[in-house]
Amino acid sequence: MKILQDIVLFGYGTFGRQLYKNLTAIGYKVRIITGLEDYVELESDSDVDITRINIKRNDDIFSLNLNAEETIFYCAMNQTATNLFLVLTLKSLYPNADVVAISNSNETTRKLKYAGASSVIDLYEATSRRIVNVLTKPAVSKALDEIVYNQNDLQMLEIEIPQNTFLEGKYVNEINFRQMGLILIAIIDKELGYELIFTDHRINHKLDSGDILVIVAKKGDIESFKERLVE
Amino acid sequence: MEKTTTHKLLSFAYFLESSKRYNKIKTFVYNLLENDEYLYKKYFDMFMIFVILSSVTLLVMDVKQHIPAWLDDFDLYFVTTIFIAEYLLRMWVFSDIHKIIIDAYEESSYFDKKMNLFSLLWMIIKDKWAYVSSISAIIDIIAILPSYRSLRVLRVFVLFRAFKMLRYTKSLTGFLYVLKNKKFELMTLLTLSTFFIFIAGIMLYVFEGDNENPNIHNLFDAFYWALITISTVGYGDISPVTPEGRVVTMLIIITGIGLISFVTSIIVSSFNERLGVLREDRVVQAVGKKKKLTVVCGYGLLGRLVVRGLQKEGVEFVIVDKSEEMAEMAYNDGHHAICADASRGEIFKKLDIDKRISHVLCLTSDDIQNAFIAVNVKSLNENVDVSARCSDNEIAKKMEFAHVDHIIMPEEIAGMMGAVYAGEPVAFEVLLSIIEEKEKTQINEVTITEESFLDNVPLGEVDFEKLRLILLGVFKQSENSKLEEFIFNPSSDFILNAGDKLVCIGYSTAIANLKRKM
Repeated sequence: MKILQDIVLFGYGTFGRQLYKNLTAIGYKVRIITGLEDYVELESDSDVDITRINIKRNDDIFSLNLNAEETIFYCAMNQTATNLFLVLTLKSLYPNADVVAISNSNETTRKLKYAGASSVIDLYEATSRRIVNVLTKPAVSKALDEIVYNQNDLQMLEIEIPQNTFLEGKYVNEINFRQMGLILIAIIDKELGYELIFTDHRINHKLDSGDILVIVAKKGDIESFKERLVE
Repeated sequence: MEKTTTHKLLSFAYFLESSKRYNKIKTFVYNLLENDEYLYKKYFDMFMIFVILSSVTLLVMDVKQHIPAWLDDFDLYFVTTIFIAEYLLRMWVFSDIHKIIIDAYEESSYFDKKMNLFSLLWMIIKDKWAYVSSISAIIDIIAILPSYRSLRVLRVFVLFRAFKMLRYTKSLTGFLYVLKNKKFELMTLLTLSTFFIFIAGIMLYVFEGDNENPNIHNLFDAFYWALITISTVGYGDISPVTPEGRVVTMLIIITGIGLISFVTSIIVSSFNERLGVLREDRVVQAVGKKKKLTVVCGYGLLGRLVVRGLQKEGVEFVIVDKSEEMAEMAYNDGHHAICADASRGEIFKKLDIDKRISHVLCLTSDDIQNAFIAVNVKSLNENVDVSARCSDNEIAKKMEFAHVDHIIMPEEIAGMMGAVYAGEPVAFEVLLSIIEEKEKTQINEVTITEESFLDNVPLGEVDFEKLRLILLGVFKQSENSKLEEFIFNPSSDFILNAGDKLVCIGYSTAIANLKRKM
């Protein structure tokens, strides 16, 4: 089992709440931080732990005693400007921090990336694709529902190849992933740098330990695959 | 005797009611004459304009040179026949006499009364009189009059034929609407200016009428002068000669400038108000020919992204936004846009919700507004596929209750993706590039067509690697053409059939290649 990182979530609006729900469902411990005056709508049954600080002041952020190296920061403040400012602050205080920010347009995404966010989630981009898919590609939209949005049996996940496994030194097409119930979508080959390679290209890769496989599969098949890797 | 007449009348009325052919012909004539959305009405209009223009040309030519007899006959017989036929046809399609007869009969038999033929006749006349007394019908009938050659004065009525042209050109009718809308203001101004002309005319007549001014012979001259002056036209054929007369002139010139600018501003502002409606009509007409139309309600951040996606996929859509600013923006972005309230029925009826609209997307930033629009659409036509955006779980439940087909929650989707990032940043990248279609690698679907190279073939025989595609799974086609359950990673002895949908990941060119092979 992977060590779960600490997670700090700034902002607890509609998006923040959804994120919190999803993260805690996986098993993460999430710390929520909001501005002093931010309105927070608490659902009666949730026992979330919220710290209120003045985001403009560095001292307030230092007083949180964050371990920046081991933490993922999610910036989901309600206002775009505050969010951008928060990313700037975090990046200037902890240059190596892993900061994920929420955005609502291309415009904002550009600024957030410039400010140093390692990844930006566009609130509307994925949604708009989904709406268009419902109209034009119903099969795709249903398939994505199964894989991504409904937390059912099917999953998309990444697996890092450990040392000394049956995969080591083999070429991708020597292994019948499909028979194991797995569909290999993409690989990160360490030898080729950290570029993501989709497996629809016919280039045949040699697998080594440390390479990362992105797989879509049923939960049971994933478990048995992981077991085989450990053997 | 009377009984048999009634009986015959009734059976004839019922015969017309049930005759498919009669109704078909009547609908055709109606479409040709009155239905702006009918394809062939355009050609009919053009033909009528040609007939009118030729008739007016003949009138003008006749002033200086004598026109040949055959042209005169053309004007007298051909044009007149067409006008009379048009007039009668319009009267015919205006209402259904046989329906009046049937209604009257059913009412009288319900109350066990005898049907009164005279009151029936009166009802029919009253009904058709509504047509005869309408302005356009009056213009039509006056336009027919000039055919009566023995009265020379009637020839001027040929110009009424030019008025008829208004009917065949839509933009000109817009102008009449403007005048009608501002009737009150314009009438006030007209009264006011009549009053000024009256006073000024009398004053000038009093000051200069008694031989002071050789050009003013009577009161009519004085009024004529007042009108020419107040309108700032000022021909100068009559001008005041006494100081008193000049003072009157100065006063009414100043009043005249005020009046004219007032009239101009009223008409201009009224045109501005009308502009939106005119544009709306044009949009409705432009999208009117499409069979499958998607209505996007709300042109905010999400609306704009969705519109971009729809455009890429070649979906026909029209944008409806309540705010004028947003509708204007959509219009300037080159889309069909209408400024209207989507939570009301009118706009959907105008767009013909029963026949043309296939999907409605409620994408405003207000959940309640979205629910309102969704309910509005569903209550008009249940079969329209409605997607609604929502950020609140409780409102989502209410939308479900209203049978909204797809409820889309941006925060939920983004929240889910955000959670993937923690711990699985690579899978997150893959997801992002697939979902947002930023890279060349996309997820797409291909339907297997009949007798294509994939029809009735076991999956094991298909070389997806050669096609450069990753097959995720297959949707089997069920009988009512709805999508069945998703079969993930089917085994190699799985048989593919026509109608099945393959969900693949690959370069867009690879997918296009497979689609071409179908």
